[in-house]
Amino acid sequence: MKETPQESKIIARMQAGVITLNGFLGSDTRHLHEIIAEDAKVLSALGTSQSEIADRMQYFSDASFESYDTPVFIEDNYEVETDVVRGKLPCPFSHAGLYRKTLTTLHNRANGISVRWTALSIHMIREHGFFEGIGSPFRLDPQKLYKALFT
Amino acid sequence: MIIQIAKDILITCGISAFLAFILTLAQKYLNNYGICKIDINGKRSIDVEGGSSLLNSLTDKQVFLPSACGGRGSCGTCKCKVVSGGGPVLPTEKPFLSSTELSNGIRLSCQVKIKSDIRIDIPEAIFNIRKYRAVVHEILDYTYDIKGITFKMIEPGQIDFKTGQYVQLETKPYGKVKQKTVRAYSISSKPQEKDRVQLIIRLVPEGICTTWVHNHLQVGDEVNITGPYGDFYLRDTKADIIFVAGGSGKAPIKSMLEDLQVVGTTRKMTYFFGARDVKDLYLTEEMYAYEKVFDDFKYEPVLSHCSPECQWDGKRGYVMPYFKDAIIDPKNTEAYLCGSPGMINAVTKGLKELGVPADKIYFDSFG
Amino acid sequence: MTISSFVLFWAAIFTSNILLTNFLGMCSFLSVSKEVESSFGLGVAVFFVLTITTGLNYLVYHLILVPLGLVYLQFIIFIIVIAAFVQLLELVIERYAPALYYSLGIYLPLITVNCAIFGVSLFMVIRNYSFVQSISFGAGSGIGWLLAILMLSGIRSKLKEKLVPVGLQGAGISLIITGIMALAFIGFSGIVNVQ
Repeated sequence: MKETPQESKIIARMQAGVITLNGFLGSDTRHLHEIIAEDAKVLSALGTSQSEIADRMQYFSDASFESYDTPVFIEDNYEVETDVVRGKLPCPFSHAGLYRKTLTTLHNRANGISVRWTALSIHMIREHGFFEGIGSPFRLDPQKLYKALFT
Repeated sequence: MIIQIAKDILITCGISAFLAFILTLAQKYLNNYGICKIDINGKRSIDVEGGSSLLNSLTDKQVFLPSACGGRGSCGTCKCKVVSGGGPVLPTEKPFLSSTELSNGIRLSCQVKIKSDIRIDIPEAIFNIRKYRAVVHEILDYTYDIKGITFKMIEPGQIDFKTGQYVQLETKPYGKVKQKTVRAYSISSKPQEKDRVQLIIRLVPEGICTTWVHNHLQVGDEVNITGPYGDFYLRDTKADIIFVAGGSGKAPIKSMLEDLQVVGTTRKMTYFFGARDVKDLYLTEEMYAYEKVFDDFKYEPVLSHCSPECQWDGKRGYVMPYFKDAIIDPKNTEAYLCGSPGMINAVTKGLKELGVPADKIYFDSFG
Repeated sequence: MTISSFVLFWAAIFTSNILLTNFLGMCSFLSVSKEVESSFGLGVAVFFVLTITTGLNYLVYHLILVPLGLVYLQFIIFIIVIAAFVQLLELVIERYAPALYYSLGIYLPLITVNCAIFGVSLFMVIRNYSFVQSISFGAGSGIGWLLAILMLSGIRSKLKEKLVPVGLQGAGISLIITGIMALAFIGFSGIVNVQ
């Protein structure tokens, strides 16, 4: 399928070893377009949007920002912990801006689902609708993420 | 017939060759900017061959402007003030520069091409930054995910740094990683040992550099290190000190304590080491040993995530509640914090509530 | 051909506009016409390439290819001349107008395969123009192309994209606008016919 030079550059930056160790595409054989399009379909089937999910993730990250070394209990159901390491990462979508290496882990006690995300994940979901490819260590399955965040 | 074909082919090649020749001449003239002068801070002047970026030209002459992306135009760290001679601002620079910066002549040095003489202004500290070839001298396993690596400098053989500063370590390609990357780590050894630096490195999930250090680096391997950077350092006053740093944040504190042991001090010091569990503690004996070395030093490890069954009869929870016992004269107390922005926020609040002045709280919040 | 070079110059701009009448050179015309500034820059670049390569190709054709019986090689030779000139132009722009160089990006080297340029050289051969006629025709075509891209970029910058139906946004509406401009230019055809 036709790919603009910008897209080729973006996909090159998503490969393993360029920005992160295992990259953002995992072992997914689908094109970047398809990954985003199919995840977008799941979002509309769930009745939610990129920004709603990103806002909720940001809410949990902010609430657990100051509680280093120990999780915080939010709304009696969510066990959230945020850890930060030194350094910043650029977004593979090749625009200006660096994102802190913040790792938030959320455990939903009601349904037992655990998910983890980074500050970069929140940005990629909000601005690019990108949940990463299947097989990527930080891929967030939209369905699982929704269940973890909202139920 | 053959002669005809050969003649025709020869003429076509002749025309192409002639055009190629014209282009080569044009290239030599148009891409040759001659020798250009870079005037730094009005004090120092270096001659470079034009045509390269400002960042690369300076690096070639051993003046290292900070850069996180290696000059690819994606991080915005290499900003520098160009007084004159930089040419028009390029579209690749605009996303990184605010309107104030643009009006002050700040440019992205990796995008500015040297085509003529140029005048720039850079902070004096940059001149102390050098690129070092070093070799891995010793690897110590401190915990299940933290290693202490000592690098001996080969060329140049000595490094001058202040306690609290950090260096940038360059990774080599390995496994799936095809290009080198650069990551920053605080120096944990004392500045009196000028021929080496020790770094305390914690394994980070999906980290390109920490995975390389933990899984691939061996004693005897050669690496490239650039530095020193940073302005987190111990102020030379008589004030009491509170150190707060957990995990790999212990590195700059260790450097400060080792240095103080050499130069001597009578200041009252308390070091709060916040960790989750017993398995996160390291260098504990060395820290307790300082209680005997200094007149007034206390090491206070505090565990937050230790289950009631675990073997720990020390302090538990967060470090903040224990501050009030350690602070005698808040107005005469300095605090040095190294850790995540969240920890620094929380600890700073606690310290201010006890009366420690905000301008006496110094921190290295991971940049 | 007995048409005066002066008439040829004006005809190339209006009645036989290389883009709006002959529909040559559409690809970078559609892509770069999003912004008026880069459109102007690209248009001027195309003008230079058209004027000079038409002249160069005339000289090569009549001084080398025809006397040496190499007319059958005209395609490859014209393309090589055009490519070399565009390469040279890129070096000059990179040195003296770096901001323009970056804003044009890949569309500067793509002038090499802009069919308008090769087309004008071929027209010059087919219609048997003299040297002065070739230069006038090349220059006129260049200005005609510049005029067309400036008009489209001006219209596009004023167009409120929100009013355009989603399916037609971008290329769709640009092609429709181009078609309407071409219709308008047909109105000039009564003045003089050179092809």
